Amino acid sequence: MLRSILAHIPAFWVVTLITAGINAIITMGVYFSNAAGALSACHAAIAGMGAYVGAVLTTNFDWPFVVALLAGVLVGFLTGMLLALVTLRMNELVAGLTTLAFGETMVIIAFNLDYIGGANGFIGIPLETTFAAVYVVLALVVFVAWRFDRSRLGYAARACRDNAHAAAAMGINTPWVKTLVFALGGGIAGAGGVLRAHYVLVQNPADMGFFFSVNYLIFWVFGGSYTLWGPLFGAMFLTILPEFLRFSLYDRFIIYGVILTAIVIVRLQGVITRVPLGRRSAVLAWWSRPGRRSQPASAPGLGEGPDGPAPTQSRRPQGSR
Amino acid sequence: MEQFFQQLINGIMIGSTYAVVALGFGLIFSVMRVVNLAHPEIFMVGAYVAFVVITRLHLPDQGLGVSVAVGVFLLVLVLAMVVTGVLGLILERLVVRPTRGTYILVPFIATSGVSIVLQNGAQRIFGPDPVRVPSVIPAHTFAVSGVRVTSMQITTVLTAVLIMLALRYYVYRTRWGRATRAVAEKPDVAAACGVNVNLVSQLTVSIASIMAGAAGVTLGLLYSSAAPFMGLLFGLKSFVCMLVAGNRYIEAIMAVGLLLGVVEAMVTGYVSSNLRDAVAFALLLAVLFFRPQGLFGSYEV
Repeated sequence: MLRSILAHIPAFWVVTLITAGINAIITMGVYFSNAAGALSACHAAIAGMGAYVGAVLTTNFDWPFVVALLAGVLVGFLTGMLLALVTLRMNELVAGLTTLAFGETMVIIAFNLDYIGGANGFIGIPLETTFAAVYVVLALVVFVAWRFDRSRLGYAARACRDNAHAAAAMGINTPWVKTLVFALGGGIAGAGGVLRAHYVLVQNPADMGFFFSVNYLIFWVFGGSYTLWGPLFGAMFLTILPEFLRFSLYDRFIIYGVILTAIVIVRLQGVITRVPLGRRSAVLAWWSRPGRRSQPASAPGLGEGPDGPAPTQSRRPQGSR
Repeated sequence: MEQFFQQLINGIMIGSTYAVVALGFGLIFSVMRVVNLAHPEIFMVGAYVAFVVITRLHLPDQGLGVSVAVGVFLLVLVLAMVVTGVLGLILERLVVRPTRGTYILVPFIATSGVSIVLQNGAQRIFGPDPVRVPSVIPAHTFAVSGVRVTSMQITTVLTAVLIMLALRYYVYRTRWGRATRAVAEKPDVAAACGVNVNLVSQLTVSIASIMAGAAGVTLGLLYSSAAPFMGLLFGLKSFVCMLVAGNRYIEAIMAVGLLLGVVEAMVTGYVSSNLRDAVAFALLLAVLFFRPQGLFGSYEV
């Protein structure tokens, strides 16, 4: 049945949907990894490592694709665990930067390893990824995330994110939760990487770089970082949007950038939040946001402004520190 | 030994430019806790302003007098600073101010949208290939016992040093500089003491952008090329400089910028140019592991 439906969709859109699905899988990896308050700026690198391992297994050793996929998951899981252990005691920003540096280091190592093609990339990967494979994996990931959100581990992770000290005082083993959750996200990203490598058929060192990792972070925050559907929506929307703007080569990314910035400014907490449309509609809230009218000359807090409390506090997103 | 000094000179030259861009990152980050991803693209805009102004002037290829050359260079520099300064003001008003004070990734992503717009805008206007920026400063090489220094390298270092001295004067010796430091230390307390936080933020982004623009002009002239994506790696490494140094002291960022330039030049000269880009990140990993707040300390996030 799927094949007959796909036959009616133009091939171009099938390609776009597969890419969007792969991006959504890796973004769900970001969602998991960051669920316990870590900040990972290296998911492209984790996905890339999974992709390299999977591609080497299928191409050089003729392993079946499913086993390669599982190997990619394992590599991602172990990498995530290692990173989590290293960044456990750092604050969110420093942890993010450490993972950034890790990702860039991986790029440079891949550049200088001749066995995996060095700067030319690893080529000759067989085509294994199909539309069905991508969406089966995505559905599995979403199911796991859905169960995770309502599991003990999910609640523990959310408690760690909101306040690690309070969570520890409640008897949650915070190091274990943080490590496990980050590693789970790494495993999901590894699967996404293997799927991508067997679809694009080439794996370049540059694919693991900072700018791809930032892309996944953008998908994640844009959609709404604390909801299950947010990253899914962000990845899908931001992958498909440029294809709708295809009428011009450079203009489309200019428009894309403008739309991205505008939506982030209007919806500071991401498009999909736990309160679906906010108490007021988003446009109205933006228009009458505190601090829009100029502050009185006296210091805020001393002479109460017409809008009440200082702007920075009332616009903090839920759950952030 | 000659090679050592040659690489040292090259390193100081590139390192001073790293330091200027890193100072901009550090200023914006310490005052607003915003990682401004559009900063490298403002650097790129500076290089393109140099390209546009110099090609419009239709200078003769050779034989500019020294005073004329310096005049043209200063004109280009000032124009680029004006353009990037205005760009910084707009950026602060439209993008940074509405997102400031929220989760740290929100301004990060909003400014990354701006950086996508600027990169693709440059591609649209000037094409995706690097353009050749005509040289202004007459090519002259000074040689001291085998170590060669070109006049453009001297100009680059001089410009960077002057900018850094001016910034240091601004931050430590003027009223606005004191307000800036107060906001960096504790924004709410500074506001309670009567500092106009919004104005300070606006000034800060503008000054940081002006510095990035000037750095873009000198680097564009030095490599005589400007490209839409020239800001990416350069900006990332400058950002690393800021992190390694910590954002509390201006001198620390300058020193680490110079250090990174010199170490990269040494690695290029003695080991392999493939590993040059690895140095910055290896340095970052090592420093963050042992001193997460940077070598010389940072403001609290």
